[in-house]
Amino acid sequence: MSGLRDFSARRPLSRRALLRGVAGGAAVGLALPPLEAMFGRGAIADDSDLGPIFGVFFWANGLPWHAGHGASQGANSLGDYWTPATTGAGFAASELLAPLARHQVSVISGLEPKTEIPASPDGQSDGHMRGFMVSLTSDRPRSDGFDHPSHTLTALRPTLDQVIARDPRFYERFPSAYRSLELGVSTARFHDYGHWNAISYNGPDALNPPTLDPARLYDQLFGRDFGDPNLVRRARLLDAVLADASTLRGRLGAADRARLDDHMEHLYEIQRRLELSDIGCVPAGPAPASSGDLLVQTANMAELLAMGLACNITRVFSFMLTSPATTQIFSNLGVVSDMHTVCHAGDYAAVRAITAYQMEAFAVLLDALAAHTDPTGANLLDRALVYGASEYGEGYLHDTKEMPVVLAGGANGGLVRGVHAREAGGNLSKAHVTLMRALGLETPSFGFNGGETEDAFSELLA
Amino acid sequence: MRVDLSPAVSPAVPPSLPPSLRPWSARRLLSAALATALFAVGTGCGGQFSGKARAPSAGEGAGVADGGAGEAAQGPVALAPSPMARLTSRQYQNVLDDIFGPARPVELQADTAPYLFTSIGASTEPLGEQGVQLIEEAAQQITGEIFADPARREALLGCAPTGPADDCVRAYLARLGLRAWRRPLDEAELSRWLSMSELLAEGDVWRGVQLATAGMLQAPAAVYRVELGEPDPEDPSRLLLTDYELASRLSFVLWNTGPDEALLQAAAEGRLRSPEGLRAEAQRLLADPRADEAMAGFFEQYLDLGRLDRAQPDPTTFPQFTPSLRSAMRAEVLLLVDQVVNREDGDLRGIFSNRRAFVNSELAAHYGLEAEGAGPITFVPLTLPPDSERAGILGLGAFLTMNAHAVDNSPTLRGKYVMERILCYSVPPPPADVSTDIAPATEAAPTLRARLAEHRENPECSGCHSLMDPPGLVFERFDPIGAWRDSEAGYPIDTTGELLGEPLSGPGELADRLADSDRIGPCVVQQLYRHAHGRLEAPEEAATLEALSAGFAADGHRFRGLLLSLVTHESFRAIAAPVEAR
Repeated sequence: MSGLRDFSARRPLSRRALLRGVAGGAAVGLALPPLEAMFGRGAIADDSDLGPIFGVFFWANGLPWHAGHGASQGANSLGDYWTPATTGAGFAASELLAPLARHQVSVISGLEPKTEIPASPDGQSDGHMRGFMVSLTSDRPRSDGFDHPSHTLTALRPTLDQVIARDPRFYERFPSAYRSLELGVSTARFHDYGHWNAISYNGPDALNPPTLDPARLYDQLFGRDFGDPNLVRRARLLDAVLADASTLRGRLGAADRARLDDHMEHLYEIQRRLELSDIGCVPAGPAPASSGDLLVQTANMAELLAMGLACNITRVFSFMLTSPATTQIFSNLGVVSDMHTVCHAGDYAAVRAITAYQMEAFAVLLDALAAHTDPTGANLLDRALVYGASEYGEGYLHDTKEMPVVLAGGANGGLVRGVHAREAGGNLSKAHVTLMRALGLETPSFGFNGGETEDAFSELLA
Repeated sequence: MRVDLSPAVSPAVPPSLPPSLRPWSARRLLSAALATALFAVGTGCGGQFSGKARAPSAGEGAGVADGGAGEAAQGPVALAPSPMARLTSRQYQNVLDDIFGPARPVELQADTAPYLFTSIGASTEPLGEQGVQLIEEAAQQITGEIFADPARREALLGCAPTGPADDCVRAYLARLGLRAWRRPLDEAELSRWLSMSELLAEGDVWRGVQLATAGMLQAPAAVYRVELGEPDPEDPSRLLLTDYELASRLSFVLWNTGPDEALLQAAAEGRLRSPEGLRAEAQRLLADPRADEAMAGFFEQYLDLGRLDRAQPDPTTFPQFTPSLRSAMRAEVLLLVDQVVNREDGDLRGIFSNRRAFVNSELAAHYGLEAEGAGPITFVPLTLPPDSERAGILGLGAFLTMNAHAVDNSPTLRGKYVMERILCYSVPPPPADVSTDIAPATEAAPTLRARLAEHRENPECSGCHSLMDPPGLVFERFDPIGAWRDSEAGYPIDTTGELLGEPLSGPGELADRLADSDRIGPCVVQQLYRHAHGRLEAPEEAATLEALSAGFAADGHRFRGLLLSLVTHESFRAIAAPVEAR
């Protein structure tokens, strides 16, 4: 493989050449190109690092309820199996956090949304919507439509993954092919009336639907035949598409113009990606087959994601294990009804088992990151900060107290691992300030519509 | 196969008609002042459900108009801003099929259906970056496939190009624009795409043409339904759709795809400007099987059949719920709709009330019906007794299954569907801090009906549940996948219920009540208007909806008549001027 070092950014790595060069390994392995093939010779010093990675891991329907969520939840629970008994470093993992213990995750407990709840229309306090949006945007959900039978759920602003992906301080140092990737595992969704199928937003109504199929993800990451001159022609073609769009843009009203602007921004990104034919990152095997088993599918998607991260194809991702209010049936755990129904029905044992299973899946994602290193030799989980979040504290009564917050990975040295911080009744946005500062993004304050805070959990910041 | 890019048709250039030919006279319309007399359930349900009037709020839509009379008034139709919609994924695929004929389907960003309709998703949800990339890849995929085949690419162009920007290519790109952009290209546009063909050919003529084709399929004019309009000489406060924009709107509503050659020709000749010309084209489109397919798409969304696909009856309790039974349940609904709408052209309310059914052998066995001639893929029509408790689509598996839980029935979900989908009442969700679990069966309360008593007795629940549960309880004779049952856990079935306080003996009586309901018409009008315009109706459009509803009722609730009224109504051609236009 040493011969590959002769390739430079100007002379793209041929995918076929790389495939020939890779010994027929089992399953999907990865041939990592040397740094200069990824970034151009001399682009980075030998001793520099590639910066932090940010990810969101989302699971549906929160935690099993307990007295911390309210008296009636406590009366109908067996206790709190989530919150660790002690705070600070070296806490003993609780039952539900046990699967994550091998990766020394940090945990913040006790937080809740502080955003205002408009008086009308009714329904805006519901955890599915309010807890979900505050978890991911630090803002309340949009009010429009709450009084419709099939109302949409939508954000007022971009979700954290997009905020960070578009922050020039984050991406400009080492631009990657994708500013972010959106992945998902479960295909179950609450309903189709809008917006229960994604957890990443660019703004109101502007969803980034997750890729749910490993073969599609494989194509996204590795599907281009590097060095194919047609990629550059396809990029040039977009000049004409953009020229058409510019002409049209001048004739549109403000709202339509804003939509077209978004479209054009996507076209510029696609064009830039088509021109990036020098990221010679090739897996030594085919895409894994899609699986209906959530743990197997998580491993499939996580392995591909980790390979993409190792090659700097992206540095930001969201990973939706299950969508908000999921109707996934965990029949593998002996549960007959879909999870959303199970929560409403107050089946504590089932929710406890399903939550433990969802944390197993979270651990599988972290396993994949921990198993890969980038071309500088850095471990991906050490570079990453993966924000684990759900939509509310618990699903029985949709309460938003005691929201689950997990901060996994080392944030490239910015995050202290293995710490439990607790602030009962604390502002959930404080977790967001913490994670952005851990990523090295100066964040004087964050949060909106009542959720604003300047505070962070300093014990988590290295 | 429909390869409509026939070179025999010359690129249509719109003849310039004098603007004074605008055919739309002011219509006598119901007073917009009636917009305040709308009927919907107040939030919190309030224990009252008798059509209490309340003013619509912004973004809420107009609710459903009362079927009663309104005083006529004269004046122009009030218009609401209409967002620029992209094509739904289905529409984009249909347009590709129209242009290129059969090819490997492309993968596009999945449609979503806010407020039930994919057209609303297409006008409110922008494509994500992946969605735009999928279009880029789709355009490359389909053109790559066509242009790799010498016979197909020559048939597509209809001439043999000798250079990447010669007259043959010019004529082809002009025709392509007419189909893919649904309007003629102007000279600057044509020059731009000819230049791209020339620039990218790099010695291979076909490569240049392929790439130019792929580019034009990604242009905003292809991906979006651009409606810029033109000034209305009689009313400077608004715009009228251009002939091509009107043709496009007509075609996407009635066919769910772009206009064909004949409709483009009608637009080019200005024939859509007269009410007669527009009506003639609408009737031509409605007579085509593509209209039946497009209307099936509307009914699937309006009736919310997507939920059947995601219904998850417990496989242990209901091993007979097979994938083929699920598909048959969807098919029988659409067959019943087709019968009423297309074959009989009858009163649409019949789909909720008539005693007809279309079953294959699996459904016949599931329902315990005799159906001679039925096979696994052969559906036969049945006429049920006039007092049958299975009536309309509410007696069918789709409604009964998608409004049930994994093991148990849900009178609440079934009643909610009746109130919301069929009658267009709005029932708010339960308060956030209320437990919604239902007490387990006991000796004192062995049936679901008894266990739901708290819904009616607890004042926190009863406001709304007293509206939903009583109409849903009449279906207790049917199990969670729609099979007949004689008893529930050994106890006799009670099918009594209520609709808005009026007692019901069972589903048959509910169906009979729906057969002459004056709410269904305005409800269907509202849903169709949302579907056709890709947005919620604005409060100021209440008069338009009322006028359409009145016409629908006067015409015997014939759905095809309603479609004609919709597309020939002034609101279909006139658009509000965009905000802050440049």
